Parts: sequence; C-alpha cells; structure tokens
Amino acid sequence: MQLKVLLILSNKMEKQLEDLKAIREMMEKSSRFLSLSGLSGILAGITATLGAAFAYFFLLRDPAATSFTRIQEIVILMSDALLVLVISIGFGIYFSSKKAHKKDQKLFNKVTMKTLYNLSIPLITGGIISLIFLYRGDVEMVAAITLVFYGLALVNVSKFTFDEIHYLGITEIVLGIAAAIFMHNGILFWTIGFGICHIVYGFVMYKKYDLE
Amino acid sequence: MANIIANLNKAFESRIRLGIMSILSVNASVDFNTMKELLELTDGNLASHIKALEGLNYIQSFKQFIGRKPNTNYSLTESGRQSFKEHLDALETLIK
Repeated sequence: MQLKVLLILSNKMEKQLEDLKAIREMMEKSSRFLSLSGLSGILAGITATLGAAFAYFFLLRDPAATSFTRIQEIVILMSDALLVLVISIGFGIYFSSKKAHKKDQKLFNKVTMKTLYNLSIPLITGGIISLIFLYRGDVEMVAAITLVFYGLALVNVSKFTFDEIHYLGITEIVLGIAAAIFMHNGILFWTIGFGICHIVYGFVMYKKYDLE
Repeated sequence: MANIIANLNKAFESRIRLGIMSILSVNASVDFNTMKELLELTDGNLASHIKALEGLNYIQSFKQFIGRKPNTNYSLTESGRQSFKEHLDALETLIK
C-alpha cells in the first residue's frame, strides 16, 4: 500500500519535472535566436585574420614599398574588409541554417528578424561613421570605430541569443577603445577582436551548444 | 503534500497550455501561426486550447489585418500572468 502511494508520488514528481523542462524550453525557443552556430564564429575569425594579414603585409607594414595613391590604398583596404564581411556573413548563414535544419526549425522566423534588426542598428551606424572617417582620410580610427560599434551591436543583441555574445561584445568594445588610444596599432587590435576573439568564442560555443 | 498539490492550477495541467503560457510570458505578444509552429500543433488543436485559456481570462487576443489577411495576436492578461507565476512557484516547491 505504502509502496503504491510512493510510486504515485514519484510519478507526479516526474511529471512536474518534465513540465518545468518543457516550460523552460518553450520560453527559450520562443524568445531567443538559438540557431547561431559556433562554427560560423570560428570561420569568421579565420577569414578576418587572413584579411588583416593581407592588409598588413601587402600595404600597412611598409607603405613606401608600394606605389599606390592614398585613394587607391583606401579602396584596397575597403574591398578587403568588404570581402571579409561578405564571406563571414555567408558562413554565418550557411552554418546557422544547417543547425536550424538539424533541429527541425526554420532559420528565418520572428525571433531571427528581431535579432537581426537589433544587431543592424549599431552596426549600420558604425559603418556610416567609419565611412565618414575614411572619407576624411582618417584610416587609423576605422579599426577602433568598427570594433566599438560591433561590440555595442553584440551587447545589444545578446538578450535575444546566447549569453556568451554579451561578453564577446564587451571584449570588442574594450579592444576598440584600446585601438583608439594606441592608434598606430589599430590593425593589431582589429585582428585580435575580429580574428582571435571570434575563433575563441566560436570554439567555446561550438563545444558548449553544437556538440550535443 | 496534498496542500502543496492544491496550489497547482488545473487549467495548466495540459502540456500544450503550459506551452502557450510559457511563450506568452516571455513575449509581449505572439501571433497564432508563430505559436502553432513553436508548439508543432494543428490549427484546431491550438485554437481549442487558446479558447479555453481565453475563457478563463488568462490570455487576450487582438485581431488586426496584415494587408488583407486577418492576423490574431495573443498576450497574457494580468490575472493570467499571476496564475502562471503561482503555478510555477507550486511546481518548484513540489520538486524541492
């Protein structure tokens, strides 16, 4: 008799635990963009490092060695940065859609749109400010500006996705400020922020969320 | 023990209703189709549970038109939020 009561009680307990799990899952699934893949971070980091290495060894290390005009230099740097951006976004979409597919979800839903919208406000602002500085010929400040605004964008969006993004954002902001102070080492901070940080955080997130 | 179980709200016994309440508790408002996709339900099944929760005055609906398509959004009422919180608290004490 007693055993039966205990059994019923433990069955009830089991159901409550399952209920709580389901509640938690629904809350996360409906309000956070969880298809972000760590792999896209790793590959974005590698792409950024290669892009920065190209810019450094081809142009910045010894500007006197090449015979480009100032305008040509800016165009080359911008194309390089743009290429890095496009490839990174490409990897991001590819791996995220693969992850969403694996979890039987759609990549583009309301939460994804909300995430992208909140990401794009600081990002586009930063992009415009960078262009203004470039236009005025102040190339050195661009590394700092892109890092700071990218960091702000990540912090802004972190409440809709994984918590790690918040700390990645803070890291980028600190690196951006450092890049503004030590202006002649801008490319170094840029490589750490967009290259190494992405690889490290991407790896951590891949291990934590993707290998399940 | 019986006392604690009494705090659990019968209206939330079904997993689907728990799902609806969970989704609405972390989003200001959610439309019917998004909810359907999240919970992986059919129209009729979701509609009947929504109706029940609306009847209890736990959730409220707003109808609007996107172009020509009618679109219904749902959100929690104050009493729905309160009841769901009490239910969660009861679940937690039970497990401790």
